[in-house]
Amino acid sequence: MTSDIKRRDVLQMLAFGVASGALMVHATPVLAQTSDSVTIGWPSDVPSWDPNQRFTPDAQPIYKMVFDQPLDQSPTLEIIPSLVTKWELAADGLSMPIELRDDVFFHNGDKMTMEDFRYSFFERIKAGHKLDTANSWRHVSDIEILSPTKGVMRFSSPAPTAPQWLTFLGSYIVPKKYMESIGPDAFREKPIGTGPYKLVEHQLNSRIVLERNEAYWGPKPKMRRVTFDIIKDPSARIAAIQSGQVDLVTSVPVREVERLQKDPNLAAEINPFTRVILLQVRNDLGFSDSNVRLAAHYAIDKAALSKAFYGGAAVPLSVVATPGTAAYLKDFKFDFDVEKAKALLAKSGFSVDKPAKIRFAATNGQFPSDYDIARALVQMWKKVGIEAELETIEYAKYFELNRGGKLPEATLYSFDNATGDPEIFAGYLLNPKMPFGTWKGMEIGEKVLALFSEPVYDKRIAGYRSLNQEAVEAGATIPLLQSVQTVVRKKNLNYVKYGNAWILANKMSWS
Amino acid sequence: MFATIAKLLMKRLIVAIPILLVVSALLFIILRILPVDPAAMSLPPNATLAEIEAKRLEMGLHLPLIQQYGIWLAQVLHGNFGTSIHFRRDVASLVMTTLPSTIELAVFAMLIASIIGIAGGLILFHVRGTRKEAGLDFGSILLLSLPEFLWSLFLILLFGVALEWLPFTGRLSPGVERPTITGFLLLDSLLAGKPAVFWNAVQHMLLPCFALGISFSPSIMRVLRSSLLDVYQDDYIHQARLRGLSERRILIRHGLKNAILPTLSLMGVQFGFLFGGTLLVEVIYSYPGMGNLMVDAIRNADLPIIQAVGLTYCIVVLVISIAVDSLYLILNPKLRVR
Repeated sequence: MTSDIKRRDVLQMLAFGVASGALMVHATPVLAQTSDSVTIGWPSDVPSWDPNQRFTPDAQPIYKMVFDQPLDQSPTLEIIPSLVTKWELAADGLSMPIELRDDVFFHNGDKMTMEDFRYSFFERIKAGHKLDTANSWRHVSDIEILSPTKGVMRFSSPAPTAPQWLTFLGSYIVPKKYMESIGPDAFREKPIGTGPYKLVEHQLNSRIVLERNEAYWGPKPKMRRVTFDIIKDPSARIAAIQSGQVDLVTSVPVREVERLQKDPNLAAEINPFTRVILLQVRNDLGFSDSNVRLAAHYAIDKAALSKAFYGGAAVPLSVVATPGTAAYLKDFKFDFDVEKAKALLAKSGFSVDKPAKIRFAATNGQFPSDYDIARALVQMWKKVGIEAELETIEYAKYFELNRGGKLPEATLYSFDNATGDPEIFAGYLLNPKMPFGTWKGMEIGEKVLALFSEPVYDKRIAGYRSLNQEAVEAGATIPLLQSVQTVVRKKNLNYVKYGNAWILANKMSWS
Repeated sequence: MFATIAKLLMKRLIVAIPILLVVSALLFIILRILPVDPAAMSLPPNATLAEIEAKRLEMGLHLPLIQQYGIWLAQVLHGNFGTSIHFRRDVASLVMTTLPSTIELAVFAMLIASIIGIAGGLILFHVRGTRKEAGLDFGSILLLSLPEFLWSLFLILLFGVALEWLPFTGRLSPGVERPTITGFLLLDSLLAGKPAVFWNAVQHMLLPCFALGISFSPSIMRVLRSSLLDVYQDDYIHQARLRGLSERRILIRHGLKNAILPTLSLMGVQFGFLFGGTLLVEVIYSYPGMGNLMVDAIRNADLPIIQAVGLTYCIVVLVISIAVDSLYLILNPKLRVR
């Protein structure tokens, strides 16, 4: 007994469905590329359109399109003039006279002056605006205005990295008059800067559309329109570049880059940049013995980690600095040496049969292959006589656990420093008073604290070079690899490769 | 009928208040128990311990939990859901910006799930006892076992990458300007008289809606089929046959009309799940909805957003439940008599 829905009815329905579908999609979706526009598949959105508000490394290249920083960085990370044309840190590090360009206008036509500089780096902070820059510029005691283009930054304690910080996270000049007239909340809805592009549209977690600022003071960008498609899922980013819906994507898995390198229409690259992957270690518990710490370091085959998880592109590191930066030690190598690791452990009474026991924390998904690296480390340690109990932590919990002294003996961590300056590498990571460092030993701590007040650049760099080696030899830190940025783009899209992984649309062109 | 529905609405609204209170209290307490310090999360990583402590006092985190909940609830009742830790923006405005997109996605996905589910249920019923039954049964189980995020990736690969028929990121193509009137893009594009924008938005919604719709359709299919099997044991079906009615008329006018009631009930429940299922689908399709916002909030331990979105999900499920019950009353006169 069946109802009389016939096969023919079903087939008719199917045919209707297919015909409707074909009709709906008869127009092939608009592909991203046109001669003067570019669409970029970006992995995260900007948290706020107030560029002083949040320290989000991924958002900096987007902010740099709409806002300008007082100083800029070259692709090889040297500090270069931008809105600030002249700067000179005083010998005591307590003041820095600066000179601004005279030909810069905000997107609404207002001229940029020292008033705006003072507002961005001093007045807003004193007014209590909720800004992350309030922390980085907390030592600014005043900014004296000498003329519309000249002024002096004054600090309550030596600020040797003030020029570096003027190129770094959150340091953008915002328009005083405009922001005061509409308020910070409204500014976030309708932001203006002095940058090469104006914000046209922002759809939260989906799309950012920028249009060229025709009155830009600097070189005119070749791209008239720039669209950032916020594509958080790596598989979707790969699909987007493969289908031609976007022209460039970043942060795709390394194995996918290797596959896409075979696509004749795409260029896929793995670029090392200024982010270090390291083990943050404690100076107590199971790591109170320097033999165990050093053995843990000798037991790690960093080249194998790089090959297994980053296609061999991640440079093995012996110090907490990346190649090309000021305090990197080209000639210092900390070797992979299993026998040495075993000998050090034997000195302290440990062996494969009687292993030293430690706890070890790692994030899962915070940076590419983090948990896989952690598991590999556990295996490497096991071979020499260190038994590590691996636990997963959320990145958000790192600082809280560290403040409470609850992090284990070793924690796998990655640290981004677009400036490349050693203060923001070893200085931050080994400073016992800052929340990044797990090492609380004061022998090294005192040296770090002294370097924070050293205003003479050459002395400061020499100090960090020496500290970098000492910290590794003492087992106070275990640097592993220089992290990599993956970029996949259409072959005829040109971009400028920056040592700190900035992808800047104003430097792009089609060939 | 309307009096009965109004009575039901009143009853449900009264019940909804304690449910919302319990859910809000659970949400608040569970999130506070989590080992995450909202004060530290609100400040940049280089903040000092003193600054974090000051922030804790400012946020009232030193107060007893029940007192914190009381303060939060009072603020919520005044429409203040707090400020997002990550975005530093009013949470209510973030939720209101993203909710319309998620509602559009969920409604259209449910429509697709219903069409596929009901059509599939009828086909499954139609082939019962034949050789095709086993094959179609296997197919429906296969559909049931694939989660929506796998459908999302599969549809992207097929229609986005291989065939290049459909876009799969965001809501509109680059260069298409979005009209903003009500926040519901499809409605706004029609109100603004921009059919091209409407069409573009529909194209962008097809894949996420199908990914969700396909994954939620098999249970509708299977429940409808078994309801039809039950209904076909009833006497009135035999009587209808004796009256000489065609099988098609019996199925559509008599069988389906009664078998659809349990299916409708399931669809109400499914819609609640489907609303929750938008989280991953929105992330994969870069769809600017509340699910995408929630995933970000979880990643950043943005407690005010998690609380507000959690509460919004609860309200949506309650509203759907009331709507389904009302529909039940409309479709089943027997319930109105009671």
